[in-house]
Amino acid sequence: MENLGALALLLAFCFAIYAVLGSLVGRWKKKPFLTVSAERAVFVVWGLVAIASSILVYALMAGDFRLAYVAAHSNKSMPFYYKFASWWGGQEGSLLFWTFLLSTYSVIVVWSSRKTFRDMMPWIIAVLMTTAAFFLLLITVPMSPFNVLTLNKGIQDMGDGQGLNPLLQYWTMVIHPPMLYLGYVGFTVPFAFAIASLITKQPGDKWIMQTRRWTLVTWLFQSTGVLLGAGWAYAVLGWGGYWGWDPVENASLLPWITATAFLHSVMMQEKKGMMKVWNMVLISATFFLCIFGTTLTRTGIVSSVHAFAQSNIGKYLVTFLAIGIAGVVYLILDRLEYLKSETHLESVVSRESSFLFNNLILLASCFAILWGTLFPVISEAVTGDKISVDRPFFERVNIPIGLFLLFLTGVGPLVAWRRSSLDSLRRAFLWPTVSGLAVIGILMGFGVRHFYALVSFGLCMFVTWTVISEFYKGSRSISQRMNKNLAAAAFELTWRNTRRYGGYIVHMGIVLMFIGFTGSAFNQDATLEVDTGTVSHIGHYELRIADLQQGENDNYAWHKAVIQVSKDGSPIGTLEPERRLYKASKQPTSEVSIRRRINEDLYLNFAGMSNDNSKAVIQAFVFPLVSCIWMGYWVLFFGTLVCMVPPKVKLAYARTEVVGVARKNVPVEN
Amino acid sequence: MYRWKTSVLLLFIVGVSIAQTSDSTVTPAVQRAGSKLACLCGGCHNTIANCPMLGCHYAVPAREKVNKLAQESKSDEEIVQAFVRETGIQALAVPPATGFNSLLMRMPWVVIALGLLAIAWFVRRQRSQGTAQANASPEMDPAVLSRYRENIEKDVSRLD
Repeated sequence: MENLGALALLLAFCFAIYAVLGSLVGRWKKKPFLTVSAERAVFVVWGLVAIASSILVYALMAGDFRLAYVAAHSNKSMPFYYKFASWWGGQEGSLLFWTFLLSTYSVIVVWSSRKTFRDMMPWIIAVLMTTAAFFLLLITVPMSPFNVLTLNKGIQDMGDGQGLNPLLQYWTMVIHPPMLYLGYVGFTVPFAFAIASLITKQPGDKWIMQTRRWTLVTWLFQSTGVLLGAGWAYAVLGWGGYWGWDPVENASLLPWITATAFLHSVMMQEKKGMMKVWNMVLISATFFLCIFGTTLTRTGIVSSVHAFAQSNIGKYLVTFLAIGIAGVVYLILDRLEYLKSETHLESVVSRESSFLFNNLILLASCFAILWGTLFPVISEAVTGDKISVDRPFFERVNIPIGLFLLFLTGVGPLVAWRRSSLDSLRRAFLWPTVSGLAVIGILMGFGVRHFYALVSFGLCMFVTWTVISEFYKGSRSISQRMNKNLAAAAFELTWRNTRRYGGYIVHMGIVLMFIGFTGSAFNQDATLEVDTGTVSHIGHYELRIADLQQGENDNYAWHKAVIQVSKDGSPIGTLEPERRLYKASKQPTSEVSIRRRINEDLYLNFAGMSNDNSKAVIQAFVFPLVSCIWMGYWVLFFGTLVCMVPPKVKLAYARTEVVGVARKNVPVEN
Repeated sequence: MYRWKTSVLLLFIVGVSIAQTSDSTVTPAVQRAGSKLACLCGGCHNTIANCPMLGCHYAVPAREKVNKLAQESKSDEEIVQAFVRETGIQALAVPPATGFNSLLMRMPWVVIALGLLAIAWFVRRQRSQGTAQANASPEMDPAVLSRYRENIEKDVSRLD
């Protein structure tokens, strides 16, 4: 079976190369049969990668411990869903999973767009299949998942495996990597469209709309992946945090930030025909940051708890990055004329300018994170000294940047396209500003003195006011004209311009997340050494240890504390934090117990037993407002879905600035 | 009998494996000086003041050392320097802003400043081009104008 799997990957690599050459030669020599044949090769690549993936999954499920990958990442006692998750639990399998997703995306693109984007399709295929061929090369030569264990030239069956890392044996870990990979890999598609449009000098904005839709979908996957990772860290690692500024976490955030910037600035291209070069740079940067993230995760350039084992694929990834970036830079420089703006910015005080500032701040945040992540490596190379760049740096830089971004989130809707007068600005900003200042005043009245927390809550109110007033003004107008109630009018309003109002809903999700992040300024924690019957306190909670239990099953042994919780004297329930020791890996993990509420979480971690093994050590945390982060995600999810719904009214964006200029390349949209 | 023995042995191993020293050494001195010192356990990016890992092989002894030095009436700066002498500047959560390492804190703000300059240059260029273009072609093409008027009519009728 392993030979069949390896052969399938080798053949897939050959077909991917054929697809690249076939599409390019077909286009160059004007031989349609070659182009069509290249399209079919994409389907063959998918089929072969699917066969290889099925063989690996079967080996994981059946426990074929002759395979090095299966022996290292699976064992007999694991439930079937974790065996399945082992597919992406290790280096080789995750690269195969990546390739499988990329080939699946490629099939969808070819199937859905081959008629609409006839001219661009050979180039789209060339970009997609070059990337696929590169990953197939990795899993065919240096990182094959089908290597067998050998001893004295004979194949060795280990009998059982080491199992999946216990920290990864958690339900969100079954879906977190696929979501993140769907995001990472998905950004290849808009990048392929962008490059194809650049090469073929596509007129019009059709491809931009297609690219935006793909970016939105993959952005949602990436957001989901990042948030699931944060949720996993919060609920599994036992330290109560959801973000550790680990290089691998940062790597997942970087393409998300550039994609967010792209989703904003692409509106300028659609509506005003501006920022074409910038959009090309953003979508390319997003793709290359995905590859860079992969390089960071898999080569050990920087130390990270999340990273896969160090390997020798770094040189392959760096070469791919270098060639890719050089190629894109050349293409952009070569086609600057094609990327020229069709209209001009009229005023600094305009919606267009707010997008420029939004992009600047997003990119500054991206740069700060990238800089902080790589600086230890750069500094060591320059000075020879090892240094640490930890949480204080990231927070010192990113908190003010994040707050400014939050401010711009509120400013955007208040400023008109083209230009805003001072009077209209005064009217637009008055109530949002008053409401934000009122929140700050009230919080100060309650004794809050944390500067950033006050600013953050004030800005959250500012943005909330602008978003709600946007909905209210539009809904009231529809309600009056169509004689509908306000809720129905709000629904009608959103449906008419799903993109705009879906975007506002996404902004509300971001506001909720900021409320959650700000809550961390008021965290409380205590470490308690307790025995049965002990009563301890944290915040307004009383914790009574009702029982300490222990036991085992096939996979792990466990200690558990049964803790009765009271709040202000009234019993509110029982929490049961647990500590496990996985038998195969001899690795301990925490199963924290959390009482989740909107205002705060009570979070208990069974950290271990005391030195003399007589008492349990419990870490207790109170995390105010942390639930807002997860609620914010659901609002963001819903808002993104709304953005994807086709609007009831097809909007036309007349580029009024060009009236009278009558340039050839400026079509009037209908 | 064999299974029972195995279970007892395993529970003993579990107890030993997860036995931890409780961490009660986060004193005000640790909060002040420790917030400048990186936890070098390799598993987190916290300071020794806020590393939440119980029994962390780096943070716990580091906190004890901070407390010991504080009891010897050492200032926060002296405590931090004691760690730097022992481990190098890697012990600091953020490297000192001297020499090459001063770029760490400066670069993000330099990038923002450069970005603002780029925006200013872009806006200025766009506005001057727009003005030049408008001055150069005051005459409107009637065909284009009528197409725009039609579009405006369509948009307005949709609003109704």
